[in-house]
Amino acid sequence: MRRVFLCTLGLALTGAVASATSYPLTLTDDLGRKVTLRAEPKRIVSVLPSTTETLCALGVCDRLVGVDDFSDYPQQVTKLPKVGGLYDPDIEKMVALKPDLVLVSKYGKLVEPLTQAGITVLAVNPETYEEVFSKTLTLGRVVNREAQARALVLNMRRDIARVEILTKNAVRKPTTYLEIDPTPYSIGPNSFMGVLLTKAGARNIIPASMGDFPKVDPEFIVKANPQLMLGLDLKTARSRPGWQNLQAVRTGRVIEIPKDLNTILGRPGPRLPQALRGLARLVHPELFR
Amino acid sequence: MNLEQEGRAAAPAVWPKRLGQTAALVAALLAAVVLAVGLGSVTIPPGEVLGALWRGLTQLGGGAELTGNDVIVWQIRLPRVAMGLVVGACLAVCGGAFQGVFRNPLADPYLLGVASGAGLGATVAIVAGWPHSSIPLAALLLALAAVSVTLVLAREGRRFPPTRLILAGVVVGSVLTACTTFLILRGEDRARQVLAYTLGDLGFSGWRDVATVLPYAALGCGVLVLLGRALDTLQLGDLTARSLGVPVERLRLLVVVAASLATAAAVAYVGIIGFVGLVVPHVVRLAWGTTHRVLLPVCALMGGTLLVLADLLARVTLLSQVGVVTTLLGGPFFLWLLRRERHG
Repeated sequence: MRRVFLCTLGLALTGAVASATSYPLTLTDDLGRKVTLRAEPKRIVSVLPSTTETLCALGVCDRLVGVDDFSDYPQQVTKLPKVGGLYDPDIEKMVALKPDLVLVSKYGKLVEPLTQAGITVLAVNPETYEEVFSKTLTLGRVVNREAQARALVLNMRRDIARVEILTKNAVRKPTTYLEIDPTPYSIGPNSFMGVLLTKAGARNIIPASMGDFPKVDPEFIVKANPQLMLGLDLKTARSRPGWQNLQAVRTGRVIEIPKDLNTILGRPGPRLPQALRGLARLVHPELFR
Repeated sequence: MNLEQEGRAAAPAVWPKRLGQTAALVAALLAAVVLAVGLGSVTIPPGEVLGALWRGLTQLGGGAELTGNDVIVWQIRLPRVAMGLVVGACLAVCGGAFQGVFRNPLADPYLLGVASGAGLGATVAIVAGWPHSSIPLAALLLALAAVSVTLVLAREGRRFPPTRLILAGVVVGSVLTACTTFLILRGEDRARQVLAYTLGDLGFSGWRDVATVLPYAALGCGVLVLLGRALDTLQLGDLTARSLGVPVERLRLLVVVAASLATAAAVAYVGIIGFVGLVVPHVVRLAWGTTHRVLLPVCALMGGTLLVLADLLARVTLLSQVGVVTTLLGGPFFLWLLRRERHG
């Protein structure tokens, strides 16, 4: 309770002492490039859905002049010009939008051609759980919304803590296997989604030593015999060789992740608390009645 | 590249001479099976493997539930090993038959577009989000469709000239691969699944899958093995073969259809596993000579052995996919083989 109070106090204070970014601003982006912003960016193209969401959460949605094909939240960005996806970006369209900043992923090959066209490019890629917060602050500096960024991070941390308080005290934390695709790939506990899974009150069967996005040997899952499976349906689980008698399958605790939850789970952005809440509901439905 | 010349005049009595080698190969196959059942991400000591096998066999009719490691041995590893044997044998026999029928040492079972057809079928099923069980079916149908298109394109009246077949196969393969790439770009979030399929994986092979593939594989490979003698005659050239009474065109069509059916079934379930169909026949030729009557059955043994071992490597190392193992190890090995040929 005291922590919540302190957080609120902190919020009030940061709101009061509004700090401004001074330009020109030089920073190192996620590709290790030194990038200088000559002035506050007013026409921004975002090529990453999580970046789009963060900018809107910082209250600068109106500065977006174009987004990638997958940016679909908040509602108002769906009306913006689409500039392609990671593998098939439409560079000409981006240049034609005359942006003063393009925020790209560190994957793909956008930096070179856009830089040659005289456009400032910044690669921002939150990948770990903590990076979601640090990159939010970075974006806050970039668009001169540092106070809002700090407030947003505090809000997110507070909302996450609210869910954690519930799940921390859960009596039984089910051993869980989360499938991200049927090859099968799963997630390690240090990955962004893995951290959320743990915070949702589940015990991930994948050890950290297997990496962040390991391809899992089906035998390993049978041996671990999880109590809960997420990311596939019961019929599929039953049809897999040797899975009929696993605890999760026998008790029917095999749950397909709803499409919209799946979308936010894959987005290291401001909707992190919603993603956690949705996951916690699947793991511990009894806590949310 | 004079692989065809060696041992051309091998005596018909090849088997007795090669008995020792063949016995060694059978022993290697059995060893590979035992190893592959014992090793994996869950290590099961040999004694326990034997115990599990014994319990499984004795309780097979008893209807008793398998527990613990017995489940892993019986429902995961054994079907996986069986699938490896069937698919490996299939690819090697079809590769050998294709190399023989096209008289081209670079031919492999995917020559006529089977792989790219299966790849496209699987991709359509994956990107459209159809149930997982429909993937093999879509792959099988499109693989067969691809071969049919190749055959139609290559036809000259009632003949199927080898060069035209190969060219048509290349064209069909390229077009289908381009379609696959386009689909992957449209469904980015499923790209990894498609990639895994196109690299070949024995991951979730169960007894039912093995039972589905086996009839096609047995039928296709059986026909090819029976055609061994005709293939041997064909090595003397189309004209000579015709004068010796071999219906060359019909033989070619029959080989293509049988091999495509077997390959398509295999590919549909485990994806596109490279190099086995190309390399194994060459290795067998070096040790057993070039008589197809011998070559094809031995190819089956060696292909099965190799794929089981490759899958074992995939399971216990970071390579994680059998297709990656065969390509990574098969490529360099093949080059070494060619060099040896030159210097030898």
